[in-house]
Amino acid sequence: MKRKLISLFIIAAILIPFTIVQGAETIKIGALYTMTGRGGQYGKDSEVAIKIALDEVNAKGLPGGAKLDVIITDDKNPQYAVSVAKRYITDEKCKFLFGIISTGIGLAVTEVSKEYKVIFVGTDHAGTDLTANKFQKYYFRSANNTFQSMMAGAYYLKDEVKNWKKIAYIGPDYAYGRDQLMELKWGLDKLGVKYEVVGEYWPKLYEPDYTAYITAIMKAAPDILVVGFWGGDTVSFIKQAKPYGLFGKMKYFHVDAGGNYEALAALGADMPAGIIMSARHHNNWPETAANKAYVQKFYKAAGRYPSYAAEGAYVGIHMIAEAIRKVGNANDTEALVKAMEGMKIQCPEDPPGFTSYIDPKTHQIVQIQAIGTTVKNDKFPPAKYMLGNFKIYPADKLWPSFEYIDYMTKVKGK
Amino acid sequence: MDFNTLIAQFISGLSVAMLLFLVASGLTLIFGVVNVLNFAHGSFYLLGTYFTYQLMQLFNNFWVGLLVGVIGAGIVGMVVEVLFLRRIYGRDQEGAFQLLMTYAFILIIDDVVKFIWGPEYKTIPKPDALMGSLKIGATVVPSYNIFIIVVGLLVVLFAWYFLTKTDKGKMVRASSLDRNMLGLLGTNVPMIMTLVFGVATAMGGLAGILAAPLRTVTPGAGVEVIIDSMIVVVIGGFGNFWGALLGALIIGEVLSFGILWMPELATVLTFIVMIVVLIVKPEGLLSKKMVGRK
Repeated sequence: MKRKLISLFIIAAILIPFTIVQGAETIKIGALYTMTGRGGQYGKDSEVAIKIALDEVNAKGLPGGAKLDVIITDDKNPQYAVSVAKRYITDEKCKFLFGIISTGIGLAVTEVSKEYKVIFVGTDHAGTDLTANKFQKYYFRSANNTFQSMMAGAYYLKDEVKNWKKIAYIGPDYAYGRDQLMELKWGLDKLGVKYEVVGEYWPKLYEPDYTAYITAIMKAAPDILVVGFWGGDTVSFIKQAKPYGLFGKMKYFHVDAGGNYEALAALGADMPAGIIMSARHHNNWPETAANKAYVQKFYKAAGRYPSYAAEGAYVGIHMIAEAIRKVGNANDTEALVKAMEGMKIQCPEDPPGFTSYIDPKTHQIVQIQAIGTTVKNDKFPPAKYMLGNFKIYPADKLWPSFEYIDYMTKVKGK
Repeated sequence: MDFNTLIAQFISGLSVAMLLFLVASGLTLIFGVVNVLNFAHGSFYLLGTYFTYQLMQLFNNFWVGLLVGVIGAGIVGMVVEVLFLRRIYGRDQEGAFQLLMTYAFILIIDDVVKFIWGPEYKTIPKPDALMGSLKIGATVVPSYNIFIIVVGLLVVLFAWYFLTKTDKGKMVRASSLDRNMLGLLGTNVPMIMTLVFGVATAMGGLAGILAAPLRTVTPGAGVEVIIDSMIVVVIGGFGNFWGALLGALIIGEVLSFGILWMPELATVLTFIVMIVVLIVKPEGLLSKKMVGRK
C-alpha cells in the first residue's frame, strides 16, 4: 500500500506541472520586420533582442503561467505587411502587432490595428506621424520619433555651436528625410534661432553614389550640413565626402540616426573625429549597469554589438509583458491600452534617475536624448570611433509638443 | 557659375558615369550576345564585393582581393549559365523564364551572402596608395575617383580592341548577329555564350569591388544598382556596348549638373532623359550599331 501511494505521488508529481503547462496560455505577438536587403540587419538585431526579452519575461512569469511567443515575418512592402498583419489577427489569433522598420509600412499597419482594435507596438520606425497626426489609440511606440531627435538637435545648435548662420540639408527623398528638416526648422524657429537654408538635397533612398551631391554642397558652402540619412546611406556618404575635405569645411550634424552603431562599425577608422551625431540607443551611453548588461547579453547571443533597432524591440516586449501583468490577462484590449498609457518602463538607454514613460495622450515613449561628437574608442569593435562629449536634453522638453502636432496636422493632414 | 565649379561637377559626373558603365556594360553584353535580360546582374556585383571582402580578411591586400573577386564573380556567372540559363534557351516564352530565373537568383544570392557573411555592413578600405586627393586647378578630386575613371577608360579601350581587332571578338559580334549561322560554320557557340556570360558577370564583380571602398557592403546592394544600370542600357540601346558608355556618360553628367542647378529634381532627371529617349528613339541612342539577334 505504501509503495502504491509513493508511486501515485510520483506520477502526480510528474503530471501536475505538465497539466498546468498544458493549460497555460501562450500569448502570441505578430511581428513584422525587414529581414532582407539593407534593412535586414535591423530585423535580425530586433529578432535577437526579442529573444532576450522573451527569456527575461517568461522567466519572471506572467499571470496564470502564460507565456509570450513572437512570430516574425519579413514585411517586404506595405501591401504585403497589411495582409500578414490581418492573417496574424484572424488566423494566428495574435493579441498584439509588433515591430516594423519602415515608417511607410508602419503607417499602413496602424490602419489594421485601428480597424481590428488590436494593439500595435511600433519598435523602430521613427516617423512622427504615428504618434501625432496619424495617432490612433491602439498604437504605441517604444522608441523615440524624429521630432524628439530634431528638437534636441535644435537645442544643441542653439547652445553648443557658435558662429553659424547658413545650413544645408541632405536626406533621403521620402517622408523620413523630409520630416527631419521640417522638424529641425520648426524647432529652430521656436527657439528664436536665426538661420538661412542655402541648399536642400534629396537623393533617393539607398543612393549608391553621392559624389555629385558632395561637390554641390561644397559649392553652397554652408556653416552646418544637416544630414538625415540612416544606415548604409550614412556610411556611403561619409566615405565619399571625406576625401573631398568636406568635414574640414563645415560642421556635420546628424542627430536622428547618424550615430547608429552599425554605421560606426562599418566606417571603422574612416569615421571623421568631432562630427555631431546621435542615435536612438548608444552602446556606450549611459554607462549604467542596465545598459552594459543589455549590450553584453546581446553580444553573447549574436556575436556582435547591437544596432539601435534592437533596443526598441527589447523595450517593446517588456512593455507588453508589463501591461499583461497589470491587467491580469491579454484578452481585455481596452484595459491593456489603459495600462500602457502613462506606463513607466526602465530602458537600457535611461540614465540614472530617469525612467522612460509612455505619454498617455500620444502613446509615444518619452526619453532623454543624448547628442555627442565622434571620438576615438575601440571598446566596441569593429568600430574605431564612438560618440562622446554627450550633451543631455530632458525628455519633457522634447515631447509631447501639441503645438508641433497641430502644425504637422495642418501641413500633412490627418 | 565659376569654371572650377563646372570642372568639379564634370569630374563628379564622370566618376558616377564610370561605375554605372562598368555595371551596365556587362548587362548589355549579356543581352546583346546571350539574349538574356539578366536581372541578377547586380548580384554578381554583390558577389565580387564579398569575395574581395573575404580575401581581404585573409591577406589584407586590396589588389589580391580585386583579382580573386573578379575571377570569382566570373566563375559563378559561368556556372549559372551552364547549369541553369542554358536549359531555357529557345523555349517558348523564354523571356518569362529568364525573368523568373534571374529574379530567383537575386533572392538566392542575397540570402546566401547573408547566410555566409551575416547581415551587418562590411568594410573594404581603399588601398593606401589611393587614400589621398589630387588638385586639378582649384578643384579637389579624390585619387580613388580618378582611379575609377582610369579603370573605366581602360575597360573601354580593351573592349574596343577585343571586339574590333581580334578574331575572338569578331566571333562574339557574329554570335550576337546570327548564332545559328555561326554554329553552322563550326564555331562552338555555347562555349562563346558561357565565356561572354562569365566575362560580363566578372565586369559586374569588378564594378562592385571598385565601388565597395566608397559604398556600403551589404546584402541588397546589388539590387540598388540594377535600376540605374537598366536606365543606362535603355538610353544607349539594349545590347549595345558603346550605347552603355554613352548612356552612362549622359546619366552621370545630367545627374551631376542637375544636382547643382535644380537639386529638387535631380533624381527625376534621369527618368526624364530616359522617357525622352524612349519617345524620340525608342530603340536607344546608338541603335544603328545595335546588334540584331536571332
